[in-house]
Amino acid sequence: MMWRDVGVTLILSLILPVVAQGARHTPPGKPKLTSCRSPDKETFTCWWEAGSDGGRPTTYSLFYHKENSETVYECPDYHTAGANSCFFNKNETSIWVNYNITVVATNALGNNFSDPVDVDVVYIVQPHTPENVTVGVLEDEDGPFLRVSWEPPRKADTRSGWITLIYELRVKLEEAEEWEEHRAGQQKMFNNFSLHSGGVYMVQVRCKPDHGFWSEWSTASYVKVPDYIPRERSMWILIAVFSAFIFLILTWIITLNRSSVKHCLLPPVPGPKIKGFDQQLLKKGKPEEVFNSLVVQSFPPRSTDYEDLLVEYLEVYVNEKQELMPEGKDLRDVGCLESKSQSDNDSGRGSCDSHTLLMEKCGGVESKDESSYEEPELLQGQAGSWERLERGDSQVVDTPDSSDARVKTWPLVFSPSIHGSSDNHHYGTLEMPKQHSTSEITYSVPDHLFPTSTSFPHHHHPEYRDSLGEYSEYRHSRSPSTGVLYHWEAQHHPQAHSNFNIRNLERQKEATGFGLPPSRSMEYVEVQKVNQNQLVLKPLSSHGRGPSQVQFGRAVVDYSKVNGVNNDNVLLLQRQREMAEAGQYCDYREKEGAEAERYPTQQQGKTTKDGPVATQLQESTCLTTSGYVDTVPTMPTF
Amino acid sequence: MARRSQGTKLHLAVLCLVVSCHAIGLSDLMERASQRSDQLPVLGMFSFSLDSHFPPMGRVMMPRPSMCHTSSLQTPKDKEQALRVSENELISLARSLLLAWNDPLLLLSSEAPTLPHPSNGDISSKIRELQDYSKSLGDGLDILVNKMGPSSQYISSIPFKGGDLGNDKTSRLINFHFLMSCFRRDSHKIDSFLKVLRCRATKMRPETC
Repeated sequence: MMWRDVGVTLILSLILPVVAQGARHTPPGKPKLTSCRSPDKETFTCWWEAGSDGGRPTTYSLFYHKENSETVYECPDYHTAGANSCFFNKNETSIWVNYNITVVATNALGNNFSDPVDVDVVYIVQPHTPENVTVGVLEDEDGPFLRVSWEPPRKADTRSGWITLIYELRVKLEEAEEWEEHRAGQQKMFNNFSLHSGGVYMVQVRCKPDHGFWSEWSTASYVKVPDYIPRERSMWILIAVFSAFIFLILTWIITLNRSSVKHCLLPPVPGPKIKGFDQQLLKKGKPEEVFNSLVVQSFPPRSTDYEDLLVEYLEVYVNEKQELMPEGKDLRDVGCLESKSQSDNDSGRGSCDSHTLLMEKCGGVESKDESSYEEPELLQGQAGSWERLERGDSQVVDTPDSSDARVKTWPLVFSPSIHGSSDNHHYGTLEMPKQHSTSEITYSVPDHLFPTSTSFPHHHHPEYRDSLGEYSEYRHSRSPSTGVLYHWEAQHHPQAHSNFNIRNLERQKEATGFGLPPSRSMEYVEVQKVNQNQLVLKPLSSHGRGPSQVQFGRAVVDYSKVNGVNNDNVLLLQRQREMAEAGQYCDYREKEGAEAERYPTQQQGKTTKDGPVATQLQESTCLTTSGYVDTVPTMPTF
Repeated sequence: MARRSQGTKLHLAVLCLVVSCHAIGLSDLMERASQRSDQLPVLGMFSFSLDSHFPPMGRVMMPRPSMCHTSSLQTPKDKEQALRVSENELISLARSLLLAWNDPLLLLSSEAPTLPHPSNGDISSKIRELQDYSKSLGDGLDILVNKMGPSSQYISSIPFKGGDLGNDKTSRLINFHFLMSCFRRDSHKIDSFLKVLRCRATKMRPETC
């Protein structure tokens, strides 16, 4: 008995907890409303989560009441939206009304109320995803692009304006990681550019009401972008074709003008052309004939040829003894002459005073009357108008026969470039000196007539030295009885100085002691005065550069042409019309003696070592053109 | 920025109408009005970000939304009702609501600086912004009704009787919060009405709706 009771109690005590365990029921736990959403602002759904069920089957119910009334309603639909949900249909949905919703969990033991939630439908709108999302690749001039289009979710009434939706889409390459998001506003279509050719794109769209929540992303749409040749490549192809075309055209043009192109690029090397050189003869192997044919009859130029060229010149005859005018061929004479030049201040013009001008020849120099006359001949020929001055008495320097003394006025030969700068232009204008480097006599030649040919015989190269002082040496051999020896140093002048240049060269070669600057341009000596038998040439430099320059600058010709000699004492100078200032000829007479003191004293003062010996030449206001007795000193007076 | 530009747009519209310029059509006006009204709820939402500072007890003692002073105005309650409302009435409702909030906004703006809230400065500026928006929207709607006709110009007068927000800190906060919630809802109403109106007015551009 007792043992039975203990056993039963023991068993019961063991079993009871187990039984009691399974049979413990509690009222359900507190449910909780998780969210309420309205997809269209016309209906809405609320979801809740259940608490512990308390061991018993629990039912949940939702109750609500609207803000204005106390009437509690129960959820009309628990199933449409799934478990633990309540769906409010259109009839039961009011907007701009607060719903106070409560969920109650009920089981056999009791119930439990959730916390109430106030819901206003207008604040909980979350539409469904957009529908009919279509993606396509379209082409336009810029290239392919992606066009995405969609439709609003079916339930949302956007047509009446009840809901206003704005859209958003995102795009990415399939293998990419990050999305590219774009806002599309209220439109239902979107274009996306700058695509990768050959790639697969994913596109998703979602929407949101003006005041509400974003919908879920639509399911991804895939689109493959076809391969296409990039525009850059096609452009390059076009450029290549075009340039090939251009190249072909250029080649064709060049081929057509082959010869001229060749001529342009590879100019033919000029071959030596010797006039009269007969190649055929050479081929035949008879050089003598070839060379003979080269002999030009017209060379050396005859005086007749130059008649047209030279206008006027002073022809100075040199007596035999005194070769004032060195033969052209005998350049050494020049040098000799130079050395023996009388002291005479030639004003560089090589004053055409025959006797005085002409340089004394060296011993080796024969009296070259003939030769000396050659020059005049030439000169004459060139100038075309020789003037001959005859002197009554022959100068010592000049021809011994005074009667024979002739002064050839040389056309202006020497360029008045006293400064020593080779003044080409000057030379050009004067042109005298170069061409006629007749000894001591400057040819006055009209500029234009002055031939540049160096064919002029350099027989006589009067040396005229610019007594401006540039030259270290000034030779003037002065002898009262003899004429004035004019040293005229020609400045080194390319080409034109034919005569003088040669003379210079010769001089340089032979008379380096002269110390004549090789690059001296030709200077003319001014005729200072005329003695009985002399023509005193005043060095130009003596009177300074200025005036001389001025003279040169203005008056092309500083020389005055000697018209004639009067009474053996007067040198009639004629003015050249080339004179810039003086356009007319005017004769002026030179008077010997004091009468002809026209030279400015300053000039005298500036005379070089040898002052003017002879009487000064007086010149009229008119100045002659080049090649004449230099009237430079007088120019300032004009 | 965008809001100000919209405000200026409305002002321009006003000017244009004043000088009898009919360049701006009804649909444009509606568009702009709805754009403007769209901003109101956004602005009204700000106060709810401050919920954390409101005492939890306030929820219990919070006045019911039905106690909003504009609840006396009968407005459509759902979509069918709203779509049945005539345009004139819609515009009238919108304007009435807007007008009803002029005084409360004044009160709120005066009370905001002294509100026992850490960000009462922000609140104060937001209230001012709200006032500007309301004003410009009201002006635009006035122009709109001039175009729509005399029957649309009826406005219901809704008096606001709330004197102040209360005496103690809590009640002030609660009342402030309550007023802002009322405003938020009404701004939504205005916005919805205008958008429905816009869709009806712009029959040639259905894609905008």
